[in-house]
Amino acid sequence: MSDRAEGAVRPLANTAASRRPVGLLLVALPVFLVIWLVIWPAISAITRTLWRIDGNGHAGFDLSSYAFFFSDRYSLDNLAVTLWTTLVCAVLLLAICLPIALYLRFARGRLPAYVQALAILPMFVPSIILAFAFIRVLGPNGVVDILLNAVGLPKIRTPYLTPWGPVIGLVWDNIPLTVLILLSGLGSVANQSIEAARDVGANALRVFWHIILPRISNSILVALSFSVLGIFSSFTLPYLLGPASPEMLGPFMQRTLRDLQDPVGAMTQAVIAFGFCIIFGLFYVRSVARNRGA
Amino acid sequence: MTIFAPLRPRIDGFGIVLTVVLTLAIVAPLLVVGVWAFTDVWRYPNIIPQQFGLRFWGQTLGRSDVWNALMLSLQLSTVVTLLSALICLPAAYAFARMKFPGRDLLFFSFLAGHAFPKFGLLVAIAAIFLQLDLIGTFWGVVLIQLVGTLMFMIWIPVSAFQAVDRRMEEAARDVGASPLRVFWSITLPQAGPTIAAALMLSFVGTFYETEGAWLIGAPAIRTMPVLMISFINNQMVIQYGAVLSVLLWVPSFIALIFARRVIGGGAFARGFGG
Repeated sequence: MSDRAEGAVRPLANTAASRRPVGLLLVALPVFLVIWLVIWPAISAITRTLWRIDGNGHAGFDLSSYAFFFSDRYSLDNLAVTLWTTLVCAVLLLAICLPIALYLRFARGRLPAYVQALAILPMFVPSIILAFAFIRVLGPNGVVDILLNAVGLPKIRTPYLTPWGPVIGLVWDNIPLTVLILLSGLGSVANQSIEAARDVGANALRVFWHIILPRISNSILVALSFSVLGIFSSFTLPYLLGPASPEMLGPFMQRTLRDLQDPVGAMTQAVIAFGFCIIFGLFYVRSVARNRGA
Repeated sequence: MTIFAPLRPRIDGFGIVLTVVLTLAIVAPLLVVGVWAFTDVWRYPNIIPQQFGLRFWGQTLGRSDVWNALMLSLQLSTVVTLLSALICLPAAYAFARMKFPGRDLLFFSFLAGHAFPKFGLLVAIAAIFLQLDLIGTFWGVVLIQLVGTLMFMIWIPVSAFQAVDRRMEEAARDVGASPLRVFWSITLPQAGPTIAAALMLSFVGTFYETEGAWLIGAPAIRTMPVLMISFINNQMVIQYGAVLSVLLWVPSFIALIFARRVIGGGAFARGFGG
């Protein structure tokens, strides 16, 4: 690792002796943007959906948009498919990325370098190109169908435009960061502790369960939080690969806002998404902040 | 499982399985797109295209909507990256080198955007832009993409400024160099490559940003990814999408590999909380 990379984990250097407000001035613009375009929209979405003007022009506390969401069959179906997709993706991601990360941590030789390059490659593929590739491979008459046909097998039931479409796309898209986060956590597992456990006769499974897992549980939670935050409100892949109905919250919010021109409805959906993700969001932010050394 | 016995050399069976599976799952789909881009005719059920050729490159590049989208995307990415550098780099320098009240709190405020599911936040911003008449405008899209670049355009340069050798700066000051001269001749050359990488990440990330552009910009602002969405949705000639994918992906791939090398994999993962 370069010295620059190490600089990234060093806590903020308290070097300049001067205590001048010029620093405050220099950071004012980006901080203003964060307040105006991150914090204020979030607060405004909550207040504007809870504190509304009724038919008589009176402003007041009003839960009706939430009541509508939670009594509307279509909204609930969309919420259900979103939760299902997020859960399935999280489980699949862990099942796929944990073995890859363990392999990269403990294997030696040239093969791991190639495996790592492969596992990180999706990070450099924009989801729009991924969606296109997905359709050409797994879509109707795609390459998989062509190959199955060539060996005399029936076509697959294509996952394109089914709930499995977004699942496959989102898992593909999230593999690199999940692997990198898990790998970074595995860096804290010392070789000696594993060798010691093996010397007293522990098998691979016991080593994993008793030595490795406790040390990387935090990294696993961070990786899960990160992917949950991304997947729960993903838009591009569900919009292009998923079914039109039920749709995930991302496309649903977009349609409610732009096609149905119903900002209150869209904000209600956004606030509900915030609510479902708040624990993951706070946990994720706390972990990143701690890593940067507050 | 061989993976917990690093010291005993043996056939890396698990590694070979992983390599094959990952190659099939990750490289193969991209290769298919590449093949489609250089195909004139490929009808089901032929395993390989009936006819290779460059016919669709000419057709794709001859479309005015492609050129308009490309120009718009380049403009947007340039404006967003420059604005982001203009407001973020001085801030990064201040965070790295100066003391001021509330510095740590403000530094971590850039994490706020990551506490929310991203598209939900975009919808909340769009609801505000609706009142400000920024929907469907160039500057609306600039603003929303600018917010997306803030965190790493501050955090990565902060690391870069902190990694600069302070003793060299002090030595230069001791022999009479002005602060500006020190910054120009000592600080900037050392922090430069990392900052360049952050700028490149910002440019490429903005170029491919899809969700904000689609939600805020549509229908007037058609960036390259937004154009790709309509190519995919409207099931137009398959090769158009393939040609665009190859054309747009290759340069960004080179740029991103370079950026990652400069920033370093470990720090990169930690930046995401690993």
